[in-house]
Amino acid sequence: MAPSVPLLSATSVTKAYAGVPALSGASLVVAPGEIHALMGENGAGKSTLIKILAGVVAPDTAEITVNGERVSIDSTKAAYRLGLRFIHQEFNVVPTLSVAENIFMGRRYPRRAGLLVDWKSLNREAQRALHRLGIDHIDPSQNLGELSLGDQMLVRISAALLDDAKLYVMDEPTAALTRDESERLFRVLREIRASGSSVLYVSHRLDEIMALCDKATVLRDGRSIDSGALSNITHDDLVSLMIGRKVEEAYPKATAQPRETTVFAASGLATAGLNPVSLSLREGEVLGIAGLSGSGQAELIRAIFGDAKLTAGTMTLSGAPYAPSSPAAAWQSGVAYVPRERRAEGLVMRRPIFENITLAHLKRQSRAGTWLTPNREKRFAAELGANMRLKAVGPAQDVLELSGGNQQKVVFAKAVAGNPRLLLLEEPTRGVDVGAKFDIYSIVRELTAKGAAVILVSSDLPELIGISDRIAIMRQGEITTTVDAAGLREDDLINLCYGRATGMVA
Amino acid sequence: MQLFIRRYGTLIGFVAILIFFSVMLPGTFPTARNWLNITQQTSMLMVVAAGMTIVMVMGDFDLSVGSAASLAGIVAALMMAAGQPIWAAVAVALLVGLLGGAFNGAMVSLVGILPFIATLATMTMFSGIAFVVSGGKTISGRAIPEDFGNFARGGIPLGEWGGVAISLPNLSIIAIVVVLAVWVLLEQTTYGRRLYAIGGNMEAAHLSGIAVKRLRLIAFSLTGLAAAAGGLMYASRVASANPVQGSGLMLNAIAAVFLGTTMSRHGEPRILATVVGVIVLGVLDNGLTQMSVDSYVRQVLVGALILLAVAASSVTQGRR
Repeated sequence: MAPSVPLLSATSVTKAYAGVPALSGASLVVAPGEIHALMGENGAGKSTLIKILAGVVAPDTAEITVNGERVSIDSTKAAYRLGLRFIHQEFNVVPTLSVAENIFMGRRYPRRAGLLVDWKSLNREAQRALHRLGIDHIDPSQNLGELSLGDQMLVRISAALLDDAKLYVMDEPTAALTRDESERLFRVLREIRASGSSVLYVSHRLDEIMALCDKATVLRDGRSIDSGALSNITHDDLVSLMIGRKVEEAYPKATAQPRETTVFAASGLATAGLNPVSLSLREGEVLGIAGLSGSGQAELIRAIFGDAKLTAGTMTLSGAPYAPSSPAAAWQSGVAYVPRERRAEGLVMRRPIFENITLAHLKRQSRAGTWLTPNREKRFAAELGANMRLKAVGPAQDVLELSGGNQQKVVFAKAVAGNPRLLLLEEPTRGVDVGAKFDIYSIVRELTAKGAAVILVSSDLPELIGISDRIAIMRQGEITTTVDAAGLREDDLINLCYGRATGMVA
Repeated sequence: MQLFIRRYGTLIGFVAILIFFSVMLPGTFPTARNWLNITQQTSMLMVVAAGMTIVMVMGDFDLSVGSAASLAGIVAALMMAAGQPIWAAVAVALLVGLLGGAFNGAMVSLVGILPFIATLATMTMFSGIAFVVSGGKTISGRAIPEDFGNFARGGIPLGEWGGVAISLPNLSIIAIVVVLAVWVLLEQTTYGRRLYAIGGNMEAAHLSGIAVKRLRLIAFSLTGLAAAAGGLMYASRVASANPVQGSGLMLNAIAAVFLGTTMSRHGEPRILATVVGVIVLGVLDNGLTQMSVDSYVRQVLVGALILLAVAASSVTQGRR
């Protein structure tokens, strides 16, 4: 194989969904032995391109070669035979089967006497696959569902690495991984590169891409905008390439300071997973919640949102007692919520945009609380959507067809549609690209300017520091300390989360 | 093309069936009288399937509708046999259906039992109760007031057609009214919108402030009510009641809703699609009977048709 022959080349790739172009002449060329980043905003066409390579989606037109030979990938089997492996966020796993069974799914299990599954060697082989990633804390006989999301991702990755393939395509593999786990993954990816295979790496985390990848292809609006070595481009240039304009700030400036009036206060709030927590928010204030995952952030949000049984404590909203018995009561009182998992918790994927937005506000978005007024709803949704730069065919388009960032905007539209007094956000920009992130932060700013208060739970530390006025640190179901966000550095925040002294505890 | 088949395959198949029977039975099939007959024959199934659509919109099932229909018929017949007025017997029978449905709803939404298991259990329970209260006997003859049986035979005269007096049967009118009511409920009210949201994503619906438990309970109650109505219509049609007469309704109702789902965008149940599903089953039954096809062969054909329709609708969905 001559070095000039690309491992994979896909050119003139076009694909339209129901007349709306997702790809219009994109191209991607991956050389052997490189880690190649595929970048672009949500909706730029990355997922469509990957799905075409995986044989899940049929392109309208495409010229694809592997090792210089013209191929057509018309099924996932074809992609597999060509040596392409895909590690995707929503990859098929069976949580009720063991780790080892999941790793060997679709492969031949080791047999005894040609008939019975040799469980011992199955587990041993799985252990070996995990070891390759330096993982020794996962028991292969454990049910996959018992593992943390990060560990599940590691299992999927080790399964894909099991046999030697030519190209590994990874879509946001580190989204649920800790720093250490990510580092281990990167080590393996570099090994893969050294062995002459290649990696196509998709991520919104620019730092990772700059550190890990050799080359990058940037997609925008379904076209390949640029492709080249990463060694001679800056972080900011890369962002401008992706969003098609110069970036000044990652976070929109606050236009108003928090006011003096208290909007929300909780005192001694406790549930099954939450030790007594007290906090208060003023009008226009954003309170960030930091902490290691599982420190009680989710429980706090659920308690405020009426989705957990309080064992103690009281809350007030705008001075009046607030004791929601259900999320329905919380919405009624003017508390809105953007959940952590937009697909599982935030959206009804197979319903139109406008139905998703008005779902929490049907009482007001109907006649007499009973009779639907779809035309009015659509106008309302279209207005809200335009305001947050939602990219969609129209308010009647199914949420399913939107890109991740635009789906998240629909979740936000639902949250702000009732002019909430208190907005609860959990990981509001996870898996959302730079441009849509800025739009989402602008929505938050707009809301606080009107006097609403916001509680922001996030594991994205720059986001916490950039958007919050104050940051409360949670550990083991308690708020251990609260600090001003202005001037806070990331490492200080990390130390606070781990409970290490920094000398700046407020 | 694939999309076209997926979306309209069932309708095209339906039209093909109509053409087939019209050619084979030119004298009897494509006549107003026969069609009015079909609407009457399918009216019970129509009512029960309309009720079934409500729970299936949420992604649930109700396997107990057949037993509930039998039980309602038995309750009404027993009361009439005991000399109670017809209106009271009908009201109590409907109430029994509503409460039975509410019991299903409570098991599913409050206790959290899977609908399949909960309604499988109540299916046997309702059937057992019907046997116990009736002593396992068919209640008929003079025990049933003539007016009750006459209702099903009556209708609104529509004039003459081809020299024969035809009328719109009362049972068909009830079916139309129930379908309209369910259509309004599912397509025009916030309640229906919320049910579809529950069917699409229960957790998202809950977090969007939808009282999932209460709505599910109401939905099952309505399905029970419709089942009881279907049972009463059946009892009126045959002027008698026995503890198993509704048993065939459940599978046919689910089959009709499933046939309907092959016509909707994302495979969700729609009431008007259910209507088409019921009519497809009714036309097949009617036409094949007229062609003197053996009833067991008929069963095979109907089953095959359902498989074909669902298979055609998953032509494109399979590749995902």
